[in-house]
Amino acid sequence: MSILSDIFVILLNGLQQGAIYVLLAVGLSIILGTLKFVNFAHGALYLIGTYAGLFVALNVPLSNGKLYEWGLSSIGLDWGFFAALLLVPLLVFVVGLLMERFVARPFYDRPDTDQILVTFGLAIVVQELFRILFGSNSLPFDQPERILSFGSFAGIPVSGPVALPIVGNFPQWRLWVIGITAVLVALVYLLVEYTDFGLVVRAGTRDAEMVRLLGIKITRPYIVVFGIGAALAGVAGVVGGPLNVVNPTIGTNILVPAFLTVVIGGVGSIAGAVVGGIVFGLTTAALVSLAPAWSQVGLYAIAAIVLLTRPQGLLGDEEVAP
Amino acid sequence: MAGLAGCTGGGGGGGGGGGGSDEDYPALGNYPIEGNTAVFGFNVPQSGPYASEGEDELRAYELAVKHLNEGGGWVDTQFDDLSGDGVLGYEIDHVDGDTATDADQARQSASGMIQRDNAIMISGGSSSAVAIAVQGLCQNEKVMFMACLTHSNDTTGKDCVRYSFREMFNAYMTGQALAPVVKEAYGEGLSFYQLYADYSWGQTQQASMEQFMTDVAGWEQVESVATPLGTTDYSTYLSEAQSSGADVLILNHYGLDGANSIQQAVDAGINEDMEIIVPLYNRPMAEAAGGAIEGVYGTLAWDSQIDNTPSKEFTDAFQSEYDRIPSGPAQVAYAQTLQYAAAVERAGTFYPPEVIKQLEDYEYDNIGMGAETMRGCDHQAQRDVPVVKGLPGSEQEAGKYYEIVNITSRDDLGYACDAGPAAECELGSYE
Repeated sequence: MSILSDIFVILLNGLQQGAIYVLLAVGLSIILGTLKFVNFAHGALYLIGTYAGLFVALNVPLSNGKLYEWGLSSIGLDWGFFAALLLVPLLVFVVGLLMERFVARPFYDRPDTDQILVTFGLAIVVQELFRILFGSNSLPFDQPERILSFGSFAGIPVSGPVALPIVGNFPQWRLWVIGITAVLVALVYLLVEYTDFGLVVRAGTRDAEMVRLLGIKITRPYIVVFGIGAALAGVAGVVGGPLNVVNPTIGTNILVPAFLTVVIGGVGSIAGAVVGGIVFGLTTAALVSLAPAWSQVGLYAIAAIVLLTRPQGLLGDEEVAP
Repeated sequence: MAGLAGCTGGGGGGGGGGGGSDEDYPALGNYPIEGNTAVFGFNVPQSGPYASEGEDELRAYELAVKHLNEGGGWVDTQFDDLSGDGVLGYEIDHVDGDTATDADQARQSASGMIQRDNAIMISGGSSSAVAIAVQGLCQNEKVMFMACLTHSNDTTGKDCVRYSFREMFNAYMTGQALAPVVKEAYGEGLSFYQLYADYSWGQTQQASMEQFMTDVAGWEQVESVATPLGTTDYSTYLSEAQSSGADVLILNHYGLDGANSIQQAVDAGINEDMEIIVPLYNRPMAEAAGGAIEGVYGTLAWDSQIDNTPSKEFTDAFQSEYDRIPSGPAQVAYAQTLQYAAAVERAGTFYPPEVIKQLEDYEYDNIGMGAETMRGCDHQAQRDVPVVKGLPGSEQEAGKYYEIVNITSRDDLGYACDAGPAAECELGSYE
């Protein structure tokens, strides 16, 4: 109604939409910055995270795909959302380790184009695999009602609208998405900035050769970086899943905005990924509100402007060595 | 007398002499058919936001081909013109393509079916943009198009063509069917806010809802906002709608987009402040939206709950083949294929102008939607329209997501040949 409430709604919506991009972009960015590996299969990790989240948290009826034809009329463990939030990142972390070992590692010394081709191919294989298993039909991923319910403790309600001052009704789960993202990104930031592990990773980003000469086996931190990046994509899938219906194309759809976020923020920079995601989210939300016809163009316009004026991204470092 | 006049147009099919009884007509498009097999081209979205609908359409098309060749389903019970032994002695084969819900890709795909596979008839949808693009191509190539899931007024309105027929009703009729029902349910003097998918269908859908909600229900439009096709996050659009102060929110979205927008509207609690209407439903969409459609009114092509013999027979045939309940788009796909085949049998030839004449002003009552006329002036079926209301999540089960509130009679719907969308229709030539 008032301009003030409009601004707050745009801010909140922008932060929420940005949050999912941030989770994906942080993972992409640390993999790209540290390992110099262009991972076009990052969207596929998001896809795996979403379906795994659905599987752990809920029990949904199936009406399509091979699983249905094999006699499964529903899938899911129905263990609740909190369980999914714990288990799925672990699962996708392991998927990330396997991917690093068997897909990424043989391609580290190959050109970017080879890396893009192999990972994009992998993404399509994963997508089609899900399509075969679950069908093209979309599945409803209901928002969690409550999280943290144990025994007599009823848990914290997280779904449905919540009345906020100035803004009015706002979907509560979207606030949780912002909160969960903030916590996870802070953890990754602390890990990279303030631990020995982080030190090795950061040094590796600058000059991998020198780190090796210092006697540090850099493959081990590398595989962990890949795992962490993957796990973040998995979390994005779990928390972002309930915002939309779920189908096999979601991974591909989210890949381009995630990459643009990295480009805007600056490769290798966690803070950059956060800034990029927020800029992205806010731009989309503001354009939808003010000039809907331009909402899709906005992302690309912003990316173009940033690349023209600051090719290394808003918070990215200029390339030190070739 | 082998005619020589058939050299017009760009039909690339082999012009050589074909089957025995075909000599009465000149070559046109892919007529005459070479060999003993007639190829139908099924052009459906197998990827993109309408992929679920496309998948079910394809099942129905394949079932129709099977029944045409081997008997079964409506071929045995509802279509006297059909024998179950092919069509006019030709065995029916089919090819399928992926439109990816994109007009250009659909046109290319259809073009391949016409040029490479010599398809004698093309059928398909979803997405009106796709159907309109393909039917234009078919008119140029002189190949018949049996439109499946296309709901834009323009398909049989300003973009109509002689070579295309539409069984599905349009956005105009949806407005006509919904207005009295929602007026009764929610009252008069309300204000409404519209979001609509920004392409042919969404635009005419929005215009028709504005017209009938204003004229018939006596409501007032606050604002109407276009959203790009394939939007996944509607939250900001929905926040705007919520703060507009309107009483009713009309979501002119379909397929995956529709499932997303309604689910997000409910998550935002909009259904607590506003009444929500989704003018056009279908089953995969309701399935994806789950409990979010509770109490939400809309229309749909057909539903297995419709209680009559053809509907039951189709449901049984589809279920025994695929072990699932057919959706509305599947019924339209199946019906359109048999309609075409029956018209060919009546015409005694695949020569398109004769088949078209058999369909124009044809009256029928055999596909589960009551008595219908395929109107000659715009090729739009005049038929009843089911109005439904979404069931709560707890009452939903496979194949049953809404209750049928009203089957609006075709006598209360439609428009004259010189009015509404038909006023802009110029069908083009037969040959």
